[in-house]
Amino acid sequence: MRRSPAIGAIWAVTAVAGLAAAGAATAQNPAARPAAQSSGAQNPESRDSLGAGADRQLARRKSWEPTPPPSDPRDFTGIWEVPSPKIDLKNDQGKDPPFTPDEAKSTQRMIDAEKAGNVITDASTQCFPHGVPRLTFAPYPIRFVHAPGKILMLHEVAHNVRIVYLNRKAPPKDTPMSFLGYSTGRWEGDTLVVETTHLNGETRLDMHTSHGPRLKVTERFTKQKTPQGFTDLVDMITVDDPDHFTQPFTVNRHFAYRGDLEAETGAAGVTEYSCEENNRNVPDAAGVVTTEVKAASR
Amino acid sequence: MSVINKTALAGLAAVSLAGTAHAAPDPWADVPKAQRPAPGTPNLSGVWAMPARVRALKTLDGKAPPLLPAARAEYAKRQAALKADPKTDPSSNCWMQGVPRLVYAPYPVLIAQEKDRVNLVYETNHTFRIIGLKQPLPKEGPDLDPLWLGYSSGHWDGKTLVIDTIGLNDKTWLDYSGLPHGEKLKVQERYTLKTPDRIEGVVTITDPDTFSRPWSTAFTLVKKPGYELKESVCVRDHRM
Repeated sequence: MRRSPAIGAIWAVTAVAGLAAAGAATAQNPAARPAAQSSGAQNPESRDSLGAGADRQLARRKSWEPTPPPSDPRDFTGIWEVPSPKIDLKNDQGKDPPFTPDEAKSTQRMIDAEKAGNVITDASTQCFPHGVPRLTFAPYPIRFVHAPGKILMLHEVAHNVRIVYLNRKAPPKDTPMSFLGYSTGRWEGDTLVVETTHLNGETRLDMHTSHGPRLKVTERFTKQKTPQGFTDLVDMITVDDPDHFTQPFTVNRHFAYRGDLEAETGAAGVTEYSCEENNRNVPDAAGVVTTEVKAASR
Repeated sequence: MSVINKTALAGLAAVSLAGTAHAAPDPWADVPKAQRPAPGTPNLSGVWAMPARVRALKTLDGKAPPLLPAARAEYAKRQAALKADPKTDPSSNCWMQGVPRLVYAPYPVLIAQEKDRVNLVYETNHTFRIIGLKQPLPKEGPDLDPLWLGYSSGHWDGKTLVIDTIGLNDKTWLDYSGLPHGEKLKVQERYTLKTPDRIEGVVTITDPDTFSRPWSTAFTLVKKPGYELKESVCVRDHRM
C-alpha cells in the first residue's frame, strides 16, 4: 500500500528498509555539498557577513524586516532565515564539539576528502530529509506555523516538514526511527523547548560529522531583539549522542525575520523547491557523483 | 439554555473539574491570539483523509471529463502505457504530484489554519502547500515559471474555503489514471465543512487546450482524530 508501484522508486514511510545497515557507507562516499545547499556558494550575499561589512548586513536586515514580526514573544509566526549560513558544529568560540576518537577520525576523513576535491553526498543531497540539526543549518527560509497542539516548521529546502507536538511529554511508545525524528515541545517562559529523538543514523549533523540512533537534540527557540532593533529567533541547539561525542555540546543559530517574503504571491513566501526533479547529487556504484545540480530558484 | 446559564455551567465545571480535561476545550487555546482565524470561521484544522481511493476523476454527474480529441488520444496512450508498465506514471520519479492530483493522494493531509493562511501538509512525500488568504494570484503570462504545485491564492466564500491555482507545469497528471493537462490549467478547490468531521469538496478544472469546457469533480475528506502524520519519503535511485 505504501510502496510505490514503480520499480526503481523507493517509498519509505518512517524508515527506509535496507538503509539501516548501510549507514556506515556514507562515510566512505566522499561527497558533495550540492551547490544549492552549500554554505552560501549560491548566495553571494551570504558571504558578506565576514567581508563586506556591517553596512551591507544592516541594509539587508532592513530589507528583510520592513515590518516587525508579531509582538507576542511566544508567537513565532512568519518566515525566518539564517542571515549568515554556517554549516558546521563549532560553538560561538569556534571550538569543535567533543568528538569521540572514532568520530574525530571520521569527521577529519570527510573534511580531507572534500578538501581534496571530492564531491560529498549525504542523505540530503539525495533528497532524503536532512536530519536534525542539519536541517536547521540550511540557508533557506523556514515558515513557523502555530496550529492547535502543534507547531510546524515548513522548510523551503527540499520541502522538509517538521512537526513539534505540544500536547505530548514523550513520543508515542511505538515511534519508528526517521530522518527528522519525533519532536515534542514545551514552553519555558518565552522559550520553546523542542526535544527530538528517534532520529535514524542515516543523516549527518553537518556535512562531515555522523551521528547514531541514540542522538537526542534539544533546541531552545527564543525571540530576541538585536542591538539594531531587528528580530532574531535564536536557536540554542544541544546535541547529545554518547556514541559520537564524549559529552553533550551546544551550538547556536540566529534566524532573521523575513517579513519581506510575506508580500510574495503564489506560496506565501516559501518558494517551491523540488529536490526530486533535478537537484540531486547521487553517487553511482563506484562512488562517483554524476547527477548535475541545478541551482534552486532563489 | 440561555447564554448566562451556559457561562455559569462552564464556570462550575472549571471549578469542579479543575485539573481534568474540559468537556469542550478551546481548540485555539495554544495558538497565539493574533494568528487565530476570525470567530465564526469554519475549523478545518486537523488531519483528514479520503474515505475511498479515487483513481479516475469523473464530472459531478459521474461522466467522463470533456476531453478534446487530441487530449483524448493522449489519455488513451497513457492508459495503455500504464497498463503495460506502472512506472510510466510520472509520480514514479518521486516528482511532486501536482494539483489537483495531490489532493486525491491516498494519504492523509494535515490542515493548519491561520488567520492569513491555510497550510496543507500532505503525508505524500512530505509535500506542503502554503495558501495565502491575503495575497492575490501572481500575474499570468510567459514570465510565470510553471511549478509542480503552481501558484495559489485562497479566500473564504462564506463558509467555504476557496483555493485558486495557476502556473502548473504540464509534467503531472490530473489523476492516477493519466488524465492529461496543459500549462493553461487553472484549478479551483472548494472545501466546505459539512459536519465537524466531514469536508465536502469540489474541484473545478479549466484548461482550454485539453477540455472543451470547464468541469467539476467532487471529493470528500473525513477527519482522522488523533492521527499524526508519518514521515513519508520517496527517493529514486538512492545510494547510502
